Amino acid sequence: MNAVLRQLTLEEWDSHYAELARQGLREPAYGGPLRRHVEQEHDLRLSQLRFDPSPAALRLWNFLLTENHRLRIARFHGDKLVGAMKDLGTVPVLAYALPGVRAFYPDGAWWTPCLMECSDRLLQQAETLGIDASFCPVRAMLGAFENEQHFPLPDLLVCSAGAVCDDFSAIAQRLEHRGHPVLWWEIPRRRLPEPGEASCALPGGLFAPQAQVDCVREELERIAVALGILAGCELDLPRLQNGIREANRVRAQLGELRHAVYAAPGSPLPALEMLIAEMLAIHFCSDREECLEILADLTTEARHRAQTRQFIAGENAARVFWINPVADLRAMNLLEACGGRLCGTDFMFTHALDLIPEDLPGLDALARIALADPMAGSALDRARRIVLECRKSRAEAVVVSRIPGASHCPWETPLIQDFVREQMGLPVVEVEIPPVCDALIPALRTRLQAVMEIAWSRRTI
Amino acid sequence: MKIFYSSPWVPAEWIKAHGFEPHGIWSAAADPTITKPEGVCAFAQQFPAFLKTFPHTALILTTACDQMRRAADIADRSQARVFLFNLPATWQTPSVQQLYLSEIERLGRFLVKLGGRAPPPEELETVMLEWDRRRQTLRDLLPRVRPRQAAELLMKFFDDGTVPALLPPTPSRGVPLALIGGPILQSQLDLLDRLESVGGGVVLNATEPGERCLLPPLPPRLPGQRPIVVLANHYFAHSIDVFHRPNSRLYNWLATRLDERHVRGIILSAHVGCDLWRAEAASLREAFGLPVLLLDEHEIRNVGPRDLTRLGAFVESLR
Repeated sequence: MNAVLRQLTLEEWDSHYAELARQGLREPAYGGPLRRHVEQEHDLRLSQLRFDPSPAALRLWNFLLTENHRLRIARFHGDKLVGAMKDLGTVPVLAYALPGVRAFYPDGAWWTPCLMECSDRLLQQAETLGIDASFCPVRAMLGAFENEQHFPLPDLLVCSAGAVCDDFSAIAQRLEHRGHPVLWWEIPRRRLPEPGEASCALPGGLFAPQAQVDCVREELERIAVALGILAGCELDLPRLQNGIREANRVRAQLGELRHAVYAAPGSPLPALEMLIAEMLAIHFCSDREECLEILADLTTEARHRAQTRQFIAGENAARVFWINPVADLRAMNLLEACGGRLCGTDFMFTHALDLIPEDLPGLDALARIALADPMAGSALDRARRIVLECRKSRAEAVVVSRIPGASHCPWETPLIQDFVREQMGLPVVEVEIPPVCDALIPALRTRLQAVMEIAWSRRTI
Repeated sequence: MKIFYSSPWVPAEWIKAHGFEPHGIWSAAADPTITKPEGVCAFAQQFPAFLKTFPHTALILTTACDQMRRAADIADRSQARVFLFNLPATWQTPSVQQLYLSEIERLGRFLVKLGGRAPPPEELETVMLEWDRRRQTLRDLLPRVRPRQAAELLMKFFDDGTVPALLPPTPSRGVPLALIGGPILQSQLDLLDRLESVGGGVVLNATEPGERCLLPPLPPRLPGQRPIVVLANHYFAHSIDVFHRPNSRLYNWLATRLDERHVRGIILSAHVGCDLWRAEAASLREAFGLPVLLLDEHEIRNVGPRDLTRLGAFVESLR
């Protein structure tokens, strides 16, 4: 017998929080009721979301929503801040290997227009700087650099270039033209080694020519030197190996959480919280140790629920593999509302989920991780991994979430759709999610429900 | 066999030296029946089906932009005659320069697989010197002819490597303008005539394949240096493009010429869906203090009445 756990509105969390506090809820320094993020930070979108009711999820949300504040405190205490851009998971491993250095992704500002329901006017500000709605919502980052109202300006800005999406590259270049110096590093487009060419195994079952790995390693050496200068101490091998081990602890913990949630008969945690939890992997939300504890808490919660058969989405929910992150967090709530649940994901940073090889010299290992980025290789490579994951997770449907304006989506979406259909015959639906998707919700709901119905109907075949 | 290449930074000399006919893709007639999915660049959209339109040829695409890189994903799925050339975005380090050289060598292996012959160094050098001589002829001719004619000379050079020996001078008149941007196709060159008809004269064509794509003279080869290394270093050091990070080489190149030629306005030509060029509009305005008109290249076709009116108003405001 399943017990279905109900997700809470913000209002319901108010009273729930009061009750938890009465029962002696213990929270970290950044803790508190979710409501304050609406009142103090104007994170108006929270009023439209449905949240997991656990203290572990509360801690996750508070961790996410206080990141800018925590970064300012860290700077006040003397930490150096690194703005890593685009690589999603590689440069932060280097940065956190050094004492007194924190890395964050200014890219993360792409969720600010959603959270603040566009009251931040970041998108409009980007438009006045020549970056209009034909670009992906990550253009919000440009406005955030200009008005300095969100994240603190980093002491060092690092960005990967080469096999990256055009939107991001163009926006980062615009940022440099606006007077924010960028340390660029090359990530070549990953290709298969040719016959007779020295080959290298990458995480995720991929391969690349040794020459590409060597090139990226040398590029990362440059970044490591710059980070060492910033930190005032060399990023030597022992520090780097220790940094990799710590990053792997986070990745391993996230792996356990994903297994606990995606492999369970019902869904012990909602899709929305899983999206955020997975996002922590890329830069630990600016606090590696705390990030690890949060993921451990969520894992404990998920396991407990699975053992006691308490699910957010029951065993009948259609098992959905979700591709790409959504610009509006509310879209993830729709999944359960339409009768689905997550069984696997590719939020564009599967290389940040894979364990970094610890038996290799640190920079070599990180070069391999960087090259395993799904966005650095062919869309077919990405589709192959998706199919493998769909098979493993017994997916019944696939949702491809398009990012408005993103240069990769118009090309890779049909290719991934066709490949998944050819290989597995699964129903695939494509949705496009803008930063505030309210006006599209009826259409999104219809599309998602349609794919769930197809998934359910296939069970009887 | 014709080998089409999609970027001026793929050395045509290398293709020629392997016994093939290098052809820049800008002169190839695009298939007008191809439908363009939302968000797809009009230039890149022609590539997946290119080899169906031009059978018995091969196609070299590059990683200069995400759109082209992903067009190669689609083309590559069904075609064995597609080569994706990894053009580095950065240009500051020896490791990236080495990557570029290794891509040229890899291209050589691809050409040999297609039936080409790996050129002995002296043969490659002969082709390099011949191409260098032709570039010099072009450099001499370009300032003396009308913008349309200059663009056609460049188009022809990048199409089949030929340049005419001599042309009568036909100087340009009108408000001096710079035409900056990405790929311009043969079918779009009417833009230059239209600009002249409304009183504008393009004194700097920094599109592709424009003057921006014309390499400076080859340096002398050092003793013991392989010709392929000279070729790779020359292309690597002098490629001027928007996709570079940082793209300061583009801005430095423009700054000198905009000043020398007393340019009074910039027309930025960008294909719909081309983020890399479109994003530069504001930076160009800020960097040079000149008015910038952003011209969307909607499709592979000529300038329409609406764009002509915009161009006319732009030139009028600069008089």
